[in-house]
Amino acid sequence: MVEDLLASSPGLLNFGIFFLLATVLLLVILGFVTYAILAERKVMGFMQLRQGPNQVGGRWGLLQTVADVLKLLIKEDTIPKSADRPLFILAPVIAFAPAFMVVAVIPFTDKLQFADIGVGLLYYIAISGISTVGIVTGGWASNNKYALLGGMRAAAQMISYEIPLVMSVLGVILLAGSLNLNDIVDAQSSGWYILKQPIGFIIFLVASIAELNRTPFDLPEAESELVAGFHVEYSGFRWAFFMLSEYVYLFAMASLTTVLFLGGWGPLPFMDFIPGAVWFSLKFSLIVFLLIWVRVTLPRLRADQLMEFGWKVLLPVALANIFLTALLKELFNFM
Amino acid sequence: MSLSGEMIAFILLSLVAIIGGILLINLTRVVHMVIALVFTFISVAGLYVLLSAEFLAAVQILIYSGAITIIMLFGIMLTRHNDTSEKTAGVWRKLLLIAGIAGFGLASYAGIYNLDIPVQETKLHEDNTRQIGMALYSDHMIPFELTSVLLLAALIGAIILAKKDDEKKEGEES
Repeated sequence: MVEDLLASSPGLLNFGIFFLLATVLLLVILGFVTYAILAERKVMGFMQLRQGPNQVGGRWGLLQTVADVLKLLIKEDTIPKSADRPLFILAPVIAFAPAFMVVAVIPFTDKLQFADIGVGLLYYIAISGISTVGIVTGGWASNNKYALLGGMRAAAQMISYEIPLVMSVLGVILLAGSLNLNDIVDAQSSGWYILKQPIGFIIFLVASIAELNRTPFDLPEAESELVAGFHVEYSGFRWAFFMLSEYVYLFAMASLTTVLFLGGWGPLPFMDFIPGAVWFSLKFSLIVFLLIWVRVTLPRLRADQLMEFGWKVLLPVALANIFLTALLKELFNFM
Repeated sequence: MSLSGEMIAFILLSLVAIIGGILLINLTRVVHMVIALVFTFISVAGLYVLLSAEFLAAVQILIYSGAITIIMLFGIMLTRHNDTSEKTAGVWRKLLLIAGIAGFGLASYAGIYNLDIPVQETKLHEDNTRQIGMALYSDHMIPFELTSVLLLAALIGAIILAKKDDEKKEGEES
């Protein structure tokens, strides 16, 4: 359906259709974010032997996040007097827009994808880097020392962990021979890359958690050290935008992991009577659960440990993985 | 010059790029300038997409988003927070400058508009990532390797410089 639209000649009608589709996707993602937050709180609750939200919206707290968002919407919008006003307003926008832009290249099923770009994987990694500019801007514009420290940490962490992230993906690119996410999924019909690239998968998972700024790598917003990190001065809807971009990245990163390592919409052998969309959402939910699990289990790293781990452990291992993959591919024609 | 979608996109992107460049020069605060620079770089990447050089566009954003963040951090750390710059130029000088720029703009517009660039059939827009890879690893192998050696040397130089500083400090403290 979308393929025909992508190939058709441009015009106002097409623009309207794409605008509508993008709005629908935004709403779907907002729905995901609402229930991802609830799921995270519930899972965290169960893992810590608590109940989690159970008051608003029945026994499962189904309307808890809706109530929270409503509260944020009607909250007073405060801008500190000595903050840098234009940048303070612009920063949440710069942080959120790339988060939604990266979702465009993710192939959800073989029929549902919004942009089939030749360099889809590179596009994802490039665009997601822009968010950090928004975070640093927000930290600086708040004119608050904790916010600035959080922004600085975010920048250092993004640059250190983007390199192992890209390097770990190179193994997949070597095997698939393409940067296009559709081709990568097609190349996995004989076997998922989590089996052929186990080291790459682990590096990718660790680096992606760091890129998502989640525990154990949540130094930019470490509550016990920096009050709330780069968004100390933000409240109401502007704060909601920072949180929203974080969870949209969770959605995008879990989708990307599914596409790169778990075969996207591809089914398990003998199970192809189940439609691709169901497979995709199953694998996607598994990754989201894994990310929540990691968050609940591990304590936060120290800033110096974070840098050492990124540069001295992840990067050499990722380089060795590329070397090994190239050797195996060339010498034994394996995979 | 027809007003197609591509033309509209080109006009918007080039406007953002030029305005970003002008703001970069005219704003007074370092962080504001860097944000203006972000807009310029991103819209230049958009122009690359219009020229169907999507690999170049992605690399442009990939490289510069990291670089800009670093520039911003240096800007924050190396300048005073409430620094203001003094205005030096007088009114007459500004007027003359504007006239000069407008003249130059008109001259180059006239020159470029009448320039006849022969269009040759190329296949550069198809599969250009693969083509870039082929060209880099076959025809331009030696320059590519030399560049990487140069970058490596710069990297090692930076490490040596930073390392020396550290040892001195430790020596001073003890």
